[in-house]
Order: sequence, then C-alpha cells, then structure tokens
Amino acid sequence: MTPELALIGVLAAPLTQAVLVLMLARPPGLRDVMHVSLSLFTAVCAARLVEAAADGEIVRVVLARPLPNVDLALSVEPLGALIAAVAGGLGVLHAVHTVGLVRASHEPAPARMMAFLALASAAAMAVAFSANLFTMFVANQALTLAVFPLVAHRGDEESRKAARVFLGVLLAASVGLFLPAMVWTYALVGALDFQAGGMLAGRVDTLTANILLTLFVLGLAMAAVPPLQRWLPASSVAPHPALVTIQGVAVLPAGGVGVIKVAAFVFGPALHDAAFAARGLIVLAGLGMCAAAVIALSRQNLRERLGYSCIAQSLAVVMGALLALPAGLFAAALQIVAVACAATTLTMALGTVSVLTARENAADFAGLGRAMPWTFAAFALASASMIGMPPFSGAWAKLWLITASAGAGLLWAAALAGLAAVLTFAHLGPLAANALAGEAPQNPFVRADGASIALVAPVVLSGAATLWLLLVADPLASFLSPVWTPP
Amino acid sequence: MSADWLDLARLHAPLIAILAPLLGAAASLCIPSPRWSWAIGVLSAAAGALIAAELAVRVLWLNETPPNVVEGVMLSPDGVGVFAAALISVCTAIALIAGVTSSEAQSSHFAPLAIALALFAGGGWIAATLASDLILVLLAAETAWLASVGLLVLSGERHAALNGALRMLIAGAVGSALSVTGLALIWRSSGDLSVAALALAEATSPWGEAVGVGLVLSGWIVKAGVAPLGFWIGSAFSRASVLAALCIGVVGIVSALMLIARIAAHAFAMPEVGGGLSLALAAIGGLAIAAGSVQAIGARNLRRLAAYAGAAQAGGVLLCVALGSPAGFAAALVQTTALAAAMLALYAAAGAGGVDSLDTLDGLARRAPLAGVAVMFGAVSLIGAPLTIGFLGRWRLVEAAVGVGWWWAVGAMTFASLAAVFYAGRLIERAYFRHLRVAPAAQGDGWRVMLAPALLASIVLVAVGLAPGALLQAADAAASAFGVAP
Repeated sequence: MTPELALIGVLAAPLTQAVLVLMLARPPGLRDVMHVSLSLFTAVCAARLVEAAADGEIVRVVLARPLPNVDLALSVEPLGALIAAVAGGLGVLHAVHTVGLVRASHEPAPARMMAFLALASAAAMAVAFSANLFTMFVANQALTLAVFPLVAHRGDEESRKAARVFLGVLLAASVGLFLPAMVWTYALVGALDFQAGGMLAGRVDTLTANILLTLFVLGLAMAAVPPLQRWLPASSVAPHPALVTIQGVAVLPAGGVGVIKVAAFVFGPALHDAAFAARGLIVLAGLGMCAAAVIALSRQNLRERLGYSCIAQSLAVVMGALLALPAGLFAAALQIVAVACAATTLTMALGTVSVLTARENAADFAGLGRAMPWTFAAFALASASMIGMPPFSGAWAKLWLITASAGAGLLWAAALAGLAAVLTFAHLGPLAANALAGEAPQNPFVRADGASIALVAPVVLSGAATLWLLLVADPLASFLSPVWTPP
Repeated sequence: MSADWLDLARLHAPLIAILAPLLGAAASLCIPSPRWSWAIGVLSAAAGALIAAELAVRVLWLNETPPNVVEGVMLSPDGVGVFAAALISVCTAIALIAGVTSSEAQSSHFAPLAIALALFAGGGWIAATLASDLILVLLAAETAWLASVGLLVLSGERHAALNGALRMLIAGAVGSALSVTGLALIWRSSGDLSVAALALAEATSPWGEAVGVGLVLSGWIVKAGVAPLGFWIGSAFSRASVLAALCIGVVGIVSALMLIARIAAHAFAMPEVGGGLSLALAAIGGLAIAAGSVQAIGARNLRRLAAYAGAAQAGGVLLCVALGSPAGFAAALVQTTALAAAMLALYAAAGAGGVDSLDTLDGLARRAPLAGVAVMFGAVSLIGAPLTIGFLGRWRLVEAAVGVGWWWAVGAMTFASLAAVFYAGRLIERAYFRHLRVAPAAQGDGWRVMLAPALLASIVLVAVGLAPGALLQAADAAASAFGVAP
C-alpha cells in the first residue's frame, strides 16, 4: 500500500464504515463485522503511515481547494502518524468493546451510534494528519458535529442539554477564537500550511504573538483549557462507547494534537515571543489540573470523576506544549499517548462494569475486582498510568514534563504537575485498590450469563498497552524529533 | 436561420431576461387553472433564468463585453448588474417551483394572480439591476416591491397577511420617499441621473451629490430589511405563504442588496462620496449584524428566524460594500449568493416539511429526512461552517477587510457566526434530536416538488463551498471594474 493510499484510507475507511453500518444494520452480525473490520483497516493504514513518517517520506493529499491559496489537505508527519496509530489501534479495541456493549445492553439504536463513532474517528484522523490550520479547523468542527449526536444519543432532556453545552462550547470557541487567530495568521503569513520550525517565526511582534497564542490555545477547546472545559464534564451523560471516543480515542487527543501542532508548527521559536501568554496559560493549565483533580475526588459518580480526571491529564499536554522546549513537546506527545491508553481502558472498564452490574458509583465498586478480576486488573493498570506510577506510560510522560518544566526554569510548574499526580492518586488509587481488595459483593451481576469476551478482552489489551511506552520511549524520541527540529 | 435567431437573442439577452417573466406573468393571468398557470410561470421564469445565466457566463467567465443596445428604455448591464440579474432570475425560477403548494393552498381564483405577481416581482427586480438610469431603477424596483406586497396580501391567513402587507407598504413608501429625495439631490447636483454617470459626474455641489446617493441607498436598505430599518420583516414573514416568503425573503432581499452593491460600486468612484458612504454603510452593516442576530436568537417562528438571520447576513453584505474596493464588492456578491442559497434551502424545506413555528420543526429529520437535510445545510451555511458557501462569503469579507486594516469587521463577522451557532444550531438540534410534539400544517402533494429546490439549494451550498473557483471568478470579474481602496 502506498503512503498516499494509506492516507486516503485512514479517512475513507471510517467514512465507509459509517455508511455500511447504517446500511447493513441488520443482521447485527454483519453490521458488527463491518464495524470491527473497517476499524482494523483504519489501524493498518495508520500503521503504514508511521512507517512512512519514520522513513521521512513526504506524503500529502489535497482533498479540495475551498479557498484561494488554502487547501483542504492531509500530510504525514511523525506526531500525527503516532497519534493516529495509537488512536487507530485503540479504535479496534473500542470497536470490539462497542459490539459487546451494544449487545449486552440491548442498545436501541446501535447502528446510529456505531456510525457516529466511525465519523468521529475519521474526523480525529483528519485532525492528526491536517496539513494546515484550515484543515485542522474543518476537522475540529467535523469532530464536534460527529460527537454531538453521540452525547445526545439517549434523547432525553438531560442528554440534549449536555449536547447543547458540548456543541455550544466547542463551536463557539472554534468560531470565536480559533477562526480569528487563523485569519490573523493568514494575514501575517499569507498561507496556513504547517511548517516545522514555525510559520510565524520571525514574522510576528511580541504583542501579536501573545494574543495569537491565547486565541489558538483557548480556541482549541477540545484540549479542555479552563474556562472552556465545561463540555467535558457535561458530556459524561453520553453512552459508554461515546465516552471512550470523547476521552480516549478522539476528542481529547485531537485537542492535544492541535495544541502541539500550533506550538511546534505555527509558533516554533516564536513561542519565545509569546512567553507572557505561554506563562499565563501554563499557570492556568497547572491550576486547572489541580482543581480538576480535586473536583474529581469529590465526585461519587465515576463518569463524572473520570471526566474531571481526564481534564487534569489533558492540561498536562497543554503545559508541556507551551514550555517552548523540545523536551516539553516530547512530554506532551507522550502524555497524549499515555492518556489515550489509560482513559480508553478506564472508560471501557466502566462500561463493562456498568452493563454487567449496573453500578456506576465509587462506593459500589468495593470488592467488584474479585468478581471481575481481568477487568479490574486492567482498571488498576490504567489508574496507575493516569497517576504517573512507573513503569506505566503516564510515568514517562510526567517525568519528561517535570524535567522540561525544571529545564525551562519553571519549578512551580513542575510542582503543580507533581501535585496533580498526587491528587490523581487520591481519586483513582483507593478506588482501584478497594475494588481489588474489598470484600466481594453478593450476586453482583445483573446478567445471568456474565461478561462476553468482547467486553473483557479489549479492556485487558488496552490496559496492557499502558506498559508499551516503557519499551519504546527512546525510539519515540528520535521518531518525533522532526517535530521540533526544522529541516 | 436558428443561429441568426440565437445571435439576436444573445444581443438582446438583457431585455429578454426581463421580458420572459413579465410575459409569463401575463400568460399565467390568462389561464384560470392553477396548475397550468404555475407550469407556465415556471417555464417562463426558467427561460429568463437560462438567458440571464448565459449572459453571465459570456460576460463574467468568457470576458465578452456586455451588450449595450438601446432597447427603447435604456439598459446598461455592467458586471454587477449581469451577476445580479443571473442570481435573481435563478432565484425567481426556484421560488416559483417551490411555491407550488402555495398556489394550491390558495383559492384557485387567486392562484394565477399570485404566480403572476411573483413573476412581476422577479422581472421588476431584474430590470432594476440592469437599468442604465436611476429613474428607471426606481420605477422597476417599485413595481417589484408592489407586486411583492400584493403577493403577501394573497398569503394564507388574511388578517395577519394584511398586517404584514401594510407594514411592507409603509416600508416601501418610506424607502421610495428617501430614494426620490436622493434622486432629486443628485439631479440638482450633477444634472445627470444615469447610473454610470455617478462615477463620472462633476457635481456642482459634491455635498448634495453625497447626500443624494446616501438617501437613494437608504431607500434600498429599508427594502432589504436590514435591521434596524427592517421593521416590516417580522410581521411580513410570520404568516407568509411559501411563495411569498421566497419572493420577498430571497428574491426581494437579494435584489435590494444587489442594487445597493451596484449603485455603491459606481458611487465610490467619486472621492466626495466614498468616505462618508463607506462610514455610513459600515455603521449600518455592523448594527444590522448585531440587531439581526439578537432578533434571530429570540425568534420562535422558522420563517421569522430565517428573515432575521437574513437581515444579519445582509449586514455582512453591507460591510463588504462599505469596503469600497473590488475585493469588497466581490465579497458582497459571494455573500449575497450564500444568503440566497441558505434562505432558499430554509424556506423551501420549511414549506416541504410543513414547518411553521419552531415546535413543528421537532423531529423533522424523521418524518421528512430530505427536508431535514436541507434545513441542516441551510443552518450550517448561516453559521459559516467551513466547506459551505457561507464560510466562503465570510472568508472573502474578512480577507478584504484585513487587507485594509478593518479588524473590527473580523470581530463583527465572528459575532455573527457565534450568534448563528445559537440560532442555527437550534434548528439542527430540533430537527434531529427531538420528537414531534405539535402536528405540522397539513400538506398536499406539492411537498415533493418543493423538496427539489430545497435540495438543489443544499447541494449548491456545499458544492460551491468545496469548489468555489467558478463563483469566485465570476464575482471577481463582476467587481473588477469598480471601487477604490478606502
């Protein structure tokens, strides 16, 4: 498969998947096979693109030219390829888990849900491979519009309200902040294509750089930077497969990738000119991490707790990206990978537990690990990774983040990152420990036939994935180096 | 032989583009059967649209010189006029097609009259955009306006329709008074009322000329329904039939905006006029965006909402015109095309789906999926979502505005988009994520025909958004001869 074909494939496969699952809604077996096999094909295409990026191949596909001098285009670079490969791999597990979940829960509209999950996946891939700011803007809007029906999926007043918050915050930030920043950049540079080394480098004064950075980072509300984080807790009413998409494989990673691309490819060295805004945003991110972790601690409902926990993790990506150091960008990229693996595991585990035991409150989890040992083993691994315990993925990301913060002379930022990790331990550690060590409840299952393998295996494999950064951290650093090294 | 006839038709294309709907109107009036009357009306409007579109292709894409033949009454098609005539004639034809249920719903006695009035309105507006003389522009536009008022009178609910028509009549009178006063001032200052002379006139009193042009444009602004001067649109649209809504909300408003662009394009060449005109149009445009957006957010009736949203978008067009540069005029043409397509999609889909109040929009996507698609595309274009023609229009405005340092215009368009997220996003949410609670209006079989224009407009919204080259080329060619950098 040529890289160009693979690049078209990562976008076309999920779009085809969406159409096919709707057209072949019955029999369910055929629908499910389509859903999983096309997710697998997307992952294979993404893996091919990692290879192309590692070989330094220049791959670019122009989809349309909707504006003079501005293409709707995808291109392959290491950061996008890495995130796409991780999202694609996790997407396969997510697809299998969704199949198990919709069958176990007798979901009334499974085909519609799967179709929008696939559309969200396509949009997330488009964000990862966006070749310019315009494509990223379009892909972000598409992702918002694809996930909006997932949040409103239940169709009751509560979910509609949550969907309105989701749509309102993300679209308003995108239109009100990101779009003006994009226009401004176009006025300054005359183009919108991403460049290693930063398209604004040497072309922007200090004041403009500070304003632009603020507009870009807040405009990428998918990164959940306060005060534009409301959409994430609100969306916790969504069905579990949608939660995996939002927190694990699509929306939050897209926000993170967006911030890193802006920092590396739009600003580059010009980030030093925007030091004032960058510091302000780092303070916001650091305080936001701690506040979100504290709020998570106060939530008994695990959907809400995980939502706030994911905010804290996502803000670590923002902090790393804005440190204006290669180490910070590397930490941010690792953090996206780590959070994707851990959040996917936790939300899928939550879905499995919910559908099998109808329990979603922290207090009700005590001892459930004895009844569902595989699921809770994965839950514990993912929790440890979120907390930042060695040797899991999250530990390396946090280590690099703290090192980069100290390297940038921002010891207080390193301290905030450390404090957030402690608070994350407080809201996830005891939960996992209590589930595994507590007394097993009597008759925990609401389903007589227990869990199918489709509900457990993806959770376990995704949990195991939190270990993989231990093996590949060094190769990843050299793989990602073109992101911060101009050609 | 046929080639000779074709050449003759091409030579007189502007006149035929005007006469086709007017002759169709006369023929429609003579036929008592509503269906036959409608068919003849559609055919004549389509013939006019074909001729106007062919003229636009020749002038704007193939760079031929516009025909300038003395037709008894003088027509002088310039780039903006040719673009406008093509857009208005196509909108008229589509409005006629989509208005099929209106003619059925009205009593058979009045249906031919309604179709004739719609054609009169279209023909009048086309004549106004092609006329060489300001007096002729005024007369043609007044004909079109009065025909639109008559069409509204014939709309379904008599009392509400009369109320709306009365307000339209008052607005028209105010607009006409302003325009006539303006014409008198221009005549007194320059002694010449031809449109082209606005750019050349050596005024004895530049101040009088400037005020005159301002008053003429104010008259059109009232008729374009631009907030806060569009006091008539709420009551006019709330109970209008589909045909009336399309003829007033799409054909009428688009035509008035095109007239503003055309007159301003000529007037900006006068240094005495340019500065003040730019300031006034920019102020009214900004105000219109704010007022129209707020009114649209508060609207509870789909047609009202669309009308207010149109008024906000019209504010954007005025901002483009206010730039006074070729880029600004080109942006105005693109924005007006976007406005026309979005309004066509919304009004026709509302008609096809039997939607009146927003409550009847609930669950539209389930009971009428294609109408739901049209509402969705109309709404996303109003938001200015990328890959739609609405985004293209705003981008061109922003590009032109940034080029001359009008950063506040970027803020105004951002506000317009943000407000549209709320009012247009609500349309999508209601159509796709709610269940029907209020029964929609009863419909005949005409909704099937009505869907065609709604879907066509939706396809245009996206297709032009994806591949805008042809539209941009036409707009640039139309505007290239006009304007100066402010």
